[in-house]
Amino acid sequence: MLLLAGAAIAAPLRAQEAPPKKVTAAIERLFGKATRVDTIAVDGRRVLRIARGDSLLGFAQVRNVIGRDQPITFLVAIDPANRLKDVDVLVYREPYGGEVAYDTWRKQFRGKGADAPLEIGKDIRSISGATISSRSVTLGVRQALSELTAWRQQGKLK
Amino acid sequence: MPTRSTAGPLSLVASLLIIAPALHAQSLADRAVEQNHVTIGGYGEIQYANASGPATPGRVDLTRFVIYLANAFTDKLSVRSEVEIEDAKIENGSPAGEVSVEQLFLDYRLSDAFTLRTGLLLAPVGIINETHEPTTFNGVARPDFDHDVIPTTWRELGIGAAGALPGVAGVAYRVYLMNGLRSEGFSADEGIREGRQEGQDASFANPSLTGRLEWARPGLKIGGSFWYGGSADQNPAIGTGTFAAPVTVLAADARYDRGGLSLRGVVANVTVGDASLINGAFGGQVAHRISGGYAEAAYDVLRLVVPASSQRLDAFARYENYDTHAGVPAGVVRSDSLARRITTLGLTYRPVGGVVFKGDYQLRRNRAGIGESNVVRLGVGYQF
Repeated sequence: MLLLAGAAIAAPLRAQEAPPKKVTAAIERLFGKATRVDTIAVDGRRVLRIARGDSLLGFAQVRNVIGRDQPITFLVAIDPANRLKDVDVLVYREPYGGEVAYDTWRKQFRGKGADAPLEIGKDIRSISGATISSRSVTLGVRQALSELTAWRQQGKLK
Repeated sequence: MPTRSTAGPLSLVASLLIIAPALHAQSLADRAVEQNHVTIGGYGEIQYANASGPATPGRVDLTRFVIYLANAFTDKLSVRSEVEIEDAKIENGSPAGEVSVEQLFLDYRLSDAFTLRTGLLLAPVGIINETHEPTTFNGVARPDFDHDVIPTTWRELGIGAAGALPGVAGVAYRVYLMNGLRSEGFSADEGIREGRQEGQDASFANPSLTGRLEWARPGLKIGGSFWYGGSADQNPAIGTGTFAAPVTVLAADARYDRGGLSLRGVVANVTVGDASLINGAFGGQVAHRISGGYAEAAYDVLRLVVPASSQRLDAFARYENYDTHAGVPAGVVRSDSLARRITTLGLTYRPVGGVVFKGDYQLRRNRAGIGESNVVRLGVGYQF
């Protein structure tokens, strides 16, 4: 098991990372205030574990996918039952397609599990004029959910 | 605890050894993303058309070859450009062919609500003008409406702002101040089209304002656009004021997708003020009102046969109805042949998102019944 304190693997902030206060705000919006957030490393990836007191609230991960030509930085959060709590677009960098940050689009992901297709045209609807970004973020969420779920099932995240 | 004092550092070292390669791999991946500042892309299309009637042999053309280059200097500051070659080549003495910069703009993204944008910008009017890659629309060529009423690709030099409208969920805006149109290029059959200056030594005699509001939710997008500005270019015969010979464009559009169904429609109304003065100065037959629109429905028939397929085969029908002589000033005889009705029936095959094969059949009609034809068209396009 590779559980390390966040400080031990703190990497310098990279261009495609989200400002820490955006991550904090997203966590607070999803899990409420007064939570304990630990950064843990699983297979070399950073995962945020969110708890309040002794009770686990869920996990979150900040990831990037390439949209038309720039990385889209987003946060994926799951609950203890490995269901998607939400997706939050933290940094969007392209001139068009910013609609993927809209709540009406993101809420399609809520409650999905790793068994869901998570595919544009199947269970996720695209937004006209944001087709490439919709497709990219959906793919990124699918990868994140499958990775987080696998780690949970392997006992690497608890 | 003695076990802890010895195992602690050892397990930490072991952990680091195990974790190091993985972290290294990730940092390489991240660096690959980080260093991906420069992006190369492009799109292109080849079109074949064969009109009915004698002495109209089929024509095939490498309509567009476009190179897209973008660079992100920082998270906030980026530049994007498109260079286009039309009709494959330019040769001395041949009227065909064009090399042009189709867009070139700097974005300074200050927040989600405010991006400062400047350069050669696409007028945010209608659907096709901003989203014109061949993979994004049905039909071999862009709708005729998006040639004669909204003059795509409509780009001018300017500065403005774009972003999500604060406090209103799901609404985006764009508003630009641009160089104006020049009425010298206006015509009866193509409206304001050749009044565009397209970034070449453009006259700034008539700064113009253009903008768009766009409301979106999954599967649905509704937009409204405008353009307002003079077009006299200080020609004393028309007017020397900033807003002399004002051109007003109002357009509305909607797109809806559900399952295999895609619907879209656009309407636009263009008014040209002082049209009679423009005609007096240049001898044309320019209308004072140009209007029309189109509606299109498509259905992915492939999902009926192979529901799991990620490919698409859209069967579509589009009906365009527009008139570049919808209203004419005194001294101009309204030409019924400019009241056009174009029906396009066709297929769009998308094996992957970035490649499209197209075929369609057009019934080109007008109120006068003059010069009508039916056209078979085939095309191929890509975008990456």
